Amino acid sequence: MKIIVCYKWTLDEADIRVDAATRAVLKERAKYRISPYDRNAVECGVRLAGKSGGEVVALSVGTAELGNSAKDILSRGVTRLAWLGCQELEDADAAGTARALAAAARKIGDYDLIVCGEGSSDSYSQQTGPRLAELLDIPVVTCASEISLDGSRLTVKRKLEEGFEITETTLPALITVLPDINEPRIPGLKEILGASKKPAERFSAEDLGLDPETLKPLARRDSLLGTATDRRRIVLKGEGAAAELLTILKQEGFC
Amino acid sequence: MYDLTQEEQLIIQSVREYAENVMAPAAKEADVTGEFPWEVINKGIELGLHALSIPEEYGGPGMSALMSAVISEELSKACAGMATTLGATGLSCYPVLIAGTDEQKKLYFDIIQSGKLGAFCLTEPGAGSDSGSVAATAVREGGEYVLNGNKTFITNGAVASVYTVFATVDRAKGLKGLSAFIVERDRAGVSVGKEENKMGIRASNTTDVIFTNVRIPAGHLLGKEGDGFKIAMKTLDSSRAGVGAQAVGICQAALEASIRYANERKQFGAPISANQGIQFMLADMAIQTEAARALVRHACRLQDAGQPYGKEAAMCKTFAGDTAMKVTTDAVQIFGGYGYSRDYPIEKLMRDAKIMQIFEGTNQIQRVVVAGHILRP
Repeated sequence: MKIIVCYKWTLDEADIRVDAATRAVLKERAKYRISPYDRNAVECGVRLAGKSGGEVVALSVGTAELGNSAKDILSRGVTRLAWLGCQELEDADAAGTARALAAAARKIGDYDLIVCGEGSSDSYSQQTGPRLAELLDIPVVTCASEISLDGSRLTVKRKLEEGFEITETTLPALITVLPDINEPRIPGLKEILGASKKPAERFSAEDLGLDPETLKPLARRDSLLGTATDRRRIVLKGEGAAAELLTILKQEGFC
Repeated sequence: MYDLTQEEQLIIQSVREYAENVMAPAAKEADVTGEFPWEVINKGIELGLHALSIPEEYGGPGMSALMSAVISEELSKACAGMATTLGATGLSCYPVLIAGTDEQKKLYFDIIQSGKLGAFCLTEPGAGSDSGSVAATAVREGGEYVLNGNKTFITNGAVASVYTVFATVDRAKGLKGLSAFIVERDRAGVSVGKEENKMGIRASNTTDVIFTNVRIPAGHLLGKEGDGFKIAMKTLDSSRAGVGAQAVGICQAALEASIRYANERKQFGAPISANQGIQFMLADMAIQTEAARALVRHACRLQDAGQPYGKEAAMCKTFAGDTAMKVTTDAVQIFGGYGYSRDYPIEKLMRDAKIMQIFEGTNQIQRVVVAGHILRP
């Protein structure tokens, strides 16, 4: 069995600051890490392969910076890493990312299952997984919170807003997973120290038959500013305060 | 840190995740009940955190002294008691690392790496700082040694699967009779005595260990007969920076909690951190913590570089231990009544800090070691 697990190398948003005066987004202190839901995807693939035997290929696409993720991802139980690094993928949108991932998945070939996180911690568009499945022409099941595999039949419990749905599909297929699906492992010392001995293959766009220009985002970003919520800071005092509050709330359309 | 490899940074990331998500949530209950947190410790063992110093050729992670100290600090920040359990296994490995043959190393390290804990058995009721007074005996009978004696204050006493034990082959020889042995827990005659009900590091297990006519193969003697004192001293030299690092971890926990609290706690209409009196306390805590950390890491770097480090190891253990006591006392002061309450995690830090001045050589003995170094002609 060959499982591909996809991951995104994102900035840790907890360390991103917004300058109060200019609203400029300050990324200097933020470090890259594997997007949290993708850690669930990796864990899901590794556990399935552990039960059924076979290999787990970690796959990602991005700029050259992505190379720094190799030891981290390879310490999490996967068999090997394949990644595409090209500058055109800087600020890639879900369409470009899916196109690049699809070409890489075809190059890896013979996959039975592809596991993605439900969304990335930076943009959380929830599009990359379904787009990738469409490009590869395989079924996709999103919002997976539990899975079980019986031969080539995959049963998925989907967590939806109004309840659960159990669905079945045959392999090859793609699933996107929610964090409920598992508790990702903490890599041990030996796994970390052994990571550099595992194979890591870097593809170029040419290797995958891709025109790098087609990977660029379709939309153009003119600026990036942090959001700022301006509070009214209205303080009501004295006897008529409650009535006055009610009037204001009505004016604002809250009641 | 500025001088870590990518692997080392990833290791620290894993250690932090374990400390914050696995250890810290279990710390209070283990402290209150004194029950041994097997689930947490087993997870640490799974990650390899009990076997840091075992070399790569024996299947271990072969961590440098510096990395071991950084790891120890991170763990102790979450729970010094649990960090002590993992660290004491490392301590028990040192006599084997220092004096063991290839076969002995395989024997001991295989047990540890199969997921077991170890314990270092030197202290006796009548032999604490004065290791020369060890009364436990080892008598050679054919191809075996027969061990008899009582050890006390043994960290991991009841939870270890293997011990490094110090006993004398000839009491008349004093220090020169002291010898070191590997003893498996399941040998006939090994038993566990009273468990200490401790003031701090209550998540760790401390017991008497009793050896009654315990027969071990002669091949379990580490080094030669009479090498015991040398092995014990080298072991304690090697482990002192680790204790210093534990103390620094406690300091850091106290400092961070104090900064948070001083910013949140409002009195007279302002956070108490607006008062210069509190600011100076926090600044002093930060200065002392950083100085202790620098001294610990300096001793480790000397050790890793293969240079003499005995003096610096004693200095850092003493300074960091004393600093932990001071910094945690100040943290309790900043928290005021809440600091004194067992509902808040601050008083635990103060109780945990105290042992850092006592175990693995009291800070008075450390000063004897330092004086010995600086007065040497």
